[in-house]
Amino acid sequence: MSATDVTGLREKLSSIVGESGVSDDSSTLETYRSAGLATGGEPLLLVRPGDSGQVRDLVKLAGEDGLNLVLSSSGTPRFRGDTVPSGEAVIVDMSGMDRVLRVDRRNKVALIEPGVTFAQLKAEAKKQGMRPSMPLLPRATKSVIASFLEREPITVPRYHWDMTDPLLCTELVFGTGDLFRTGSAAGPGSLQEQWDKGLAQKNPMGPAQTDFLRIVQGSQGTMAAVTWATMKLELEPSLHRLYFVPTDRLERLVEFSYRALRPKLGEEFFILDAFALATIIAEDPGQIAELASRQAPFTLVYGVAGFEYLPEKRVAYQENDLEEIAQATGLRVAREVPGASWRRLDEIISNPSPEPYYKTRARGAFLEVLFLTTLDRLPSLVEVAEEAAARHGYPAGELGVYVQPIQHGRTCHVEFNIYFDPEDEKDSRRAGDLHEDASRALDEAGAFFSRPYGAWAGMAYAHCPDTVVALKKIKEMLDPAGVLNRGKLCFNGAPGDKPGKKKKEVG
Amino acid sequence: MSLDVQQTISDEAYRDLEEAVGPENVSREPAVIDCYSWQPFANDNPERWVIRPVAVAMPGSTEEVQALVKAIGRHGLKFKAFSTGWGAYSSPTSEGVVQVDLRRMDRIIDIDEKNMYAVLEPYVCGAQLQAEAMKVGLNTHIIGAGPSCSPLASATSAWGVGWDCCYMSYSGRNLLGAEWVLPDGEILKIGSLGSGKGWFSGDGPGPSLRGIVRGSTGALSGLGIFTKAAIKLFNWPGPPQIKTTGMLLDADSEVPENLRFCMTFWPDRKSQDEAIYKISESELPYIFSRTGLGATISIATPHLMKILVKTKAIRKAVTADMKWGCTLIMVADSEGEMAYKEGVLSEIAEQYGGAVINLTEAKPVIRMFLMNFLRGTAVPVVFRMGGQMFTALDRNDTWDAQMDWAGMGETVKQKWIDRGGILDDMADNPYMVTYEQNTWGHCEEIFQYDPRNPEHLAALEPIFVEFSVEAAERCMEPLSSTDARLRKIISPMMGHYTSWQQKISGFLDRDRAADTGMYCDEVDFDVNKLEPEMRSRIEKLVEKYSWTDEGPPE
Repeated sequence: MSATDVTGLREKLSSIVGESGVSDDSSTLETYRSAGLATGGEPLLLVRPGDSGQVRDLVKLAGEDGLNLVLSSSGTPRFRGDTVPSGEAVIVDMSGMDRVLRVDRRNKVALIEPGVTFAQLKAEAKKQGMRPSMPLLPRATKSVIASFLEREPITVPRYHWDMTDPLLCTELVFGTGDLFRTGSAAGPGSLQEQWDKGLAQKNPMGPAQTDFLRIVQGSQGTMAAVTWATMKLELEPSLHRLYFVPTDRLERLVEFSYRALRPKLGEEFFILDAFALATIIAEDPGQIAELASRQAPFTLVYGVAGFEYLPEKRVAYQENDLEEIAQATGLRVAREVPGASWRRLDEIISNPSPEPYYKTRARGAFLEVLFLTTLDRLPSLVEVAEEAAARHGYPAGELGVYVQPIQHGRTCHVEFNIYFDPEDEKDSRRAGDLHEDASRALDEAGAFFSRPYGAWAGMAYAHCPDTVVALKKIKEMLDPAGVLNRGKLCFNGAPGDKPGKKKKEVG
Repeated sequence: MSLDVQQTISDEAYRDLEEAVGPENVSREPAVIDCYSWQPFANDNPERWVIRPVAVAMPGSTEEVQALVKAIGRHGLKFKAFSTGWGAYSSPTSEGVVQVDLRRMDRIIDIDEKNMYAVLEPYVCGAQLQAEAMKVGLNTHIIGAGPSCSPLASATSAWGVGWDCCYMSYSGRNLLGAEWVLPDGEILKIGSLGSGKGWFSGDGPGPSLRGIVRGSTGALSGLGIFTKAAIKLFNWPGPPQIKTTGMLLDADSEVPENLRFCMTFWPDRKSQDEAIYKISESELPYIFSRTGLGATISIATPHLMKILVKTKAIRKAVTADMKWGCTLIMVADSEGEMAYKEGVLSEIAEQYGGAVINLTEAKPVIRMFLMNFLRGTAVPVVFRMGGQMFTALDRNDTWDAQMDWAGMGETVKQKWIDRGGILDDMADNPYMVTYEQNTWGHCEEIFQYDPRNPEHLAALEPIFVEFSVEAAERCMEPLSSTDARLRKIISPMMGHYTSWQQKISGFLDRDRAADTGMYCDEVDFDVNKLEPEMRSRIEKLVEKYSWTDEGPPE
């Protein structure tokens, strides 16, 4: 787009969000040019809408003028590339829509805007004796809504019933510019009228025979903008402890997890390898390698908690039951690991990541390979990743492994983190090569790349051409002009196209 | 349609159906077709029961379903799938429909014990799956319509409430991978299954196709036919088999030692509601139910009920003195867990002035009722009092709002009982459960009637309208979205959702091969037939709540 055209565009955008709501600040735009492996974004301008009406007007303008809008609600740094435009785009920065509009203790629900961060929501929930479900150490600037729209897993599998959790109802602006509300928020009536009738936007399904939240979740901003959402809150424990289960036998942790999660025991419940654990607990980045060397190869972390009634009794039976499961599976339970007591880890994981983001602490940068699988397939997939690491000369034992059971343990989110020094060209190249190789090898071994960022899209969608056809039809329905995050996922061709071999994508 | 109207299918089309599934698996015999023209629930008028299909075909595999759907499409007919049936919703809504009876597809393909899910075909029923799941320490969600219903149909295509929702969620939330024959006969596999990675996830890659499969209600075959599905199973700490003799209310079951069956009563609504919020937050129930005592009597002893309604003291005891209560079953994997749960329940009862009656030791009672609560076995007896029943659903949301709905339902019902429009069950007959430990709640107001009584039949439509209006006035979607007339009125108040359903139907079913009467194809509601007061209330609703181009009225 020419400079003249950009000036004209700026005027149009200003008419919607005001002059102060449009930015061409190069340092701000620069943050959208690349992220992780994604490069080549060409952000033209950034707009900051203040409400859903302005978001809607922006989408309508994009439809009229053929703009590409990239929705963003988290701050920097960004890593996965879903907000790096494929070519030219206007960035719609919703981080300024950051109000916690309602916290309802009785019904354990909050209504929040997209710019609300975990720290913000945690503080508001705490005032009423509650807490939000959180991913493991989210970035300080991470939007709560964006996090769960990306299906970021929460650390308490017991609270994860279905994939949309903890999101409930949403307000959407489709790519058509149409406003829509999902779940019981759909009405009839305004939010205030619904509250006046005792409703709290708690039923996540519908309206009627639709469930557009499921379409928007995982869509990387290609289907709709979410302008507010309700989400479940949970009780703040009155008594809370963490335990460690260190072992060199991952298979035993798998068995332990199955036995513990089936009866919904435990609060926080996840597995880390030595390096990932050290990355989290080291007080100084320089200690990470040494601290990792003192850990067991794998450590399962679980929490137990008591709440309003008989908290000691609840903690006691859970401690006892989990201890028995540990013994039965040949494991021992500990209150500390080298370098961290349970209290210290509890303090760390109860909050967003301190700055700098914890995954950057080891070497300054990282690349992730993340996917879904079942726990019984985990050991073999870890082997696949380790073999890939060995092929590229990546240091043994420095692949950060994080395993998060979800949906009560039916499924688990797995992350392999490849740490590297971004200033070291050779190290960076090796990390990139390993990332590509490990991704392909894991895919072939059965890993399900359910959140296909960047180049994974071509790999993931090559497996499911019929899904691609259906998704393209939905995209055509909700965003016929292709104004939302053009070129992402499988939306890089005409509707109905079957996926073929794709060149490596940016974004 | 009256009883003497006959629809027909051409010989050529019929031959194609035979070719698709084998001649022994197709019929157009009037006697056979009429068997499908009656389902036990929601047949509100014997004169129009449900519309007869032109033929019935029974595929035995996914491939046969595909061939059948394609043949139906070629001849300009429509299909309507039927798994285990139960409601008139399973039957055709228009003429020229082939009923696809899936009863030959009856296999439990897999139970993944570790990862807690089962892969099913459509004709597997809840009782069948539960019996197999319990053998490996697992359980399945059983819907309120009972254990004879298909878990696959509930998860993919219909509703999904049941007493175990506190622990086992709602059918639609329990769907994982699924195999789906689209209206054009092509197969779409959703989630990880579509990528050849197994059944364990229903979502992705990227957007989840579960978003078009269903919402709080399914498309009732309006978007195709689901031939296999993986659904979540849940922990069962009891024995591999609950030994039972007899059936319905004559059952006698062995009670697991690690199970408690408790009825609770509270002095007033406020105390009851506070207690239910606390009981749920403490995650005590495995089964949770709130219903009126009168409802239990009307179901268990309908003849006695006809006497009791004429009494004053007993009626007062049932409808006032013992009105506020709920029933819960607690299970535990350890003695410590059970001691904790019993202790918490006791503390809550003390705090809110409640009484907990632990019936676990009252063997004659619990042995009779156990399987009713664990498996929903006694559902058929709800038809005993008058021969038919119906229900008024609101939009499920907070427990408090559900209790308000129950109160309103009782008032509306009493009015129609007094008018002689429905049977007297003491009016207070809500079916209430909590979902996911009261993340949200459910209430439907059940009423019973005699389809042989013309006054009862005449009352059904105005009762339906009244409950629908009451729901909308409470900012709730009337959950009868399968009614094409109601959809047309309510959709503009809810973001014109039907326009999106029409578009989804449009791109999945270009040749209009699915019977979409319960999904799209809205029709006008003739409000002129309504009483002036009701017409006025509807007009006010439309004016107040209809969305404009700018969105909802704020």
